[in-house]
Amino acid sequence: MSNALPVVDKKFEPKDFKSDLKPIWCPGCGDFGVLQSLYRALAAIGRPAHEIAFVSGIGCSSRIPGYTTAYGFNTVHGRALPIAQGIKIANPSLLVLCAGGDGDGFSIGGGHVAHAVRRNIDLTYIVMDNQIYGLTKGQLSPTSPRGLKTVTSSLGSLEDPVNPLLYVLGYGASFVAQGTAADLPGLAAIIEEGIRFPGFAFINVQSPCVTYGEDEWQIKEQRARMKSLESLGHDPKDQLHAMDLARAYGKELYTGVFYRNPAPSPTYDQLVLERQKEKGASAPDPARVLDSLIQR
Amino acid sequence: MTTTRGIDFAHLSLKDALDLAVLVEEEAQERYDEFTHQMKTHDTPEAASFFAFMSRNEKKHGDELRARRLELFGDAPRSVERAMIFDIEAPDYDQARAFMSARQALTAALASETKAHAFFVAALPAIQDPKVKALFAELRDEEIEHQKLVQAELAKLPPSEDLGDAFADEPVAH
Ligand SMILES: Cc1ncc(C[n+]2csc(CCOP(=O)(O)OP(=O)(O)O)c2C)c(N)n1
Ligand code: SF4
Ligand SMILES: [Mg+2]
Repeated sequence: MSNALPVVDKKFEPKDFKSDLKPIWCPGCGDFGVLQSLYRALAAIGRPAHEIAFVSGIGCSSRIPGYTTAYGFNTVHGRALPIAQGIKIANPSLLVLCAGGDGDGFSIGGGHVAHAVRRNIDLTYIVMDNQIYGLTKGQLSPTSPRGLKTVTSSLGSLEDPVNPLLYVLGYGASFVAQGTAADLPGLAAIIEEGIRFPGFAFINVQSPCVTYGEDEWQIKEQRARMKSLESLGHDPKDQLHAMDLARAYGKELYTGVFYRNPAPSPTYDQLVLERQKEKGASAPDPARVLDSLIQR
Repeated sequence: MTTTRGIDFAHLSLKDALDLAVLVEEEAQERYDEFTHQMKTHDTPEAASFFAFMSRNEKKHGDELRARRLELFGDAPRSVERAMIFDIEAPDYDQARAFMSARQALTAALASETKAHAFFVAALPAIQDPKVKALFAELRDEEIEHQKLVQAELAKLPPSEDLGDAFADEPVAH
């Protein structure tokens, strides 16, 4: 008899999604917890790693695909969403995950978010929000609070932060949630729900940077201030109330689902597939497509 | 932050309780392995060797419990799984820091043993099966022994040499 415990009659365990590559994040970084929660969410979803594509931009947080057994693509700063959308349209049967930092998603890549939202393309976008540029050593990010002193704002920032929750709600996102690395079971459940949602799911994760982040947003402090939306009696179908609650970003730490559209519009990938089926029969011979565009 | 999901302590069988105890040790062992790697990557050798020592301890406890389970229940299917437990005896991720002193590493381990003890104390009143109750009481008491082990290591250290974060360099992974 082997010395290993018999396995549970279940398809996947969190460790099935853990790659051999070991994270090089600073010890104590919130991103470790996000990764753990993601392993658990993927085990619960039960799709094998080879059916998952995980796309990120550039930043400390964007290293995350490499630490999973999914197909990973650590792309270009700010361009995770366009590439993830391309992958989803080219191969709609893949489960597509997208992740990155607050800088990646709301500075250089900010323009792409609106278009992923309005297409309701079926992918899950996880922003690991630490209110700072971690990888490049602590510059102001779009979610840094007004007054924050950093290497690029030695006298304190003069700008109000972007509110990622209101931003995506304002564009009409159908699934908007927030989790924190201070509550790993809660975060795992939110990621799982986001992946199951048929359409674009946006999850903002408060994932503190221990090296350059603010003291009052570290794990211990987050644990003390977090409040679940469920405990407040919030109905995730209520879009206006979701927007009202989202206004507290940066002041309160609400966790859970702000908004889940009970009747989401068809996903872009689905519509593309239908269009392909519809027009497929009368489509020109691919070898002749160029000819039709070139005047000889 | 210790959490469990979907465990019905009132109806826990001895097999499930043993499996749970093994999973708790496995989780702790893995976390200490991760911490060891983190410390090695960030030039913190003393904490790395202490976390490696803790990992070996957790493995030993896990092996003992696993052998007991296999002797009593053979390869009968397991009905508890890792997704049901979160950080019972594993130190929380935010306990680790680059350049942490040996004292800080030991303090983190002590906090985890205290956390594990609190878990067994809290679970005990709900348990009905007398054999499971006895096992959980045994595991609770073992956590006290583990705390003593860490405290003894702490006592061997010279007085606190911590300078605080203000003097720490920025971490650089190698
Ligand atoms: C086109 C381009 N511009 C700038 C950079 C430099 N750069 C790399 S990561 C980064 C920001 C990182 O911040 P964030 O996205 O919040 O990720 P974090 O490191 O905080 O997880 C910047 C400005 C780059 N790599 N490419
Ligand atoms: S710099 Fe900050 S965000 Fe980057 S790995 Fe270190 S703690 Fe994490
Ligand atoms: Mg950032």
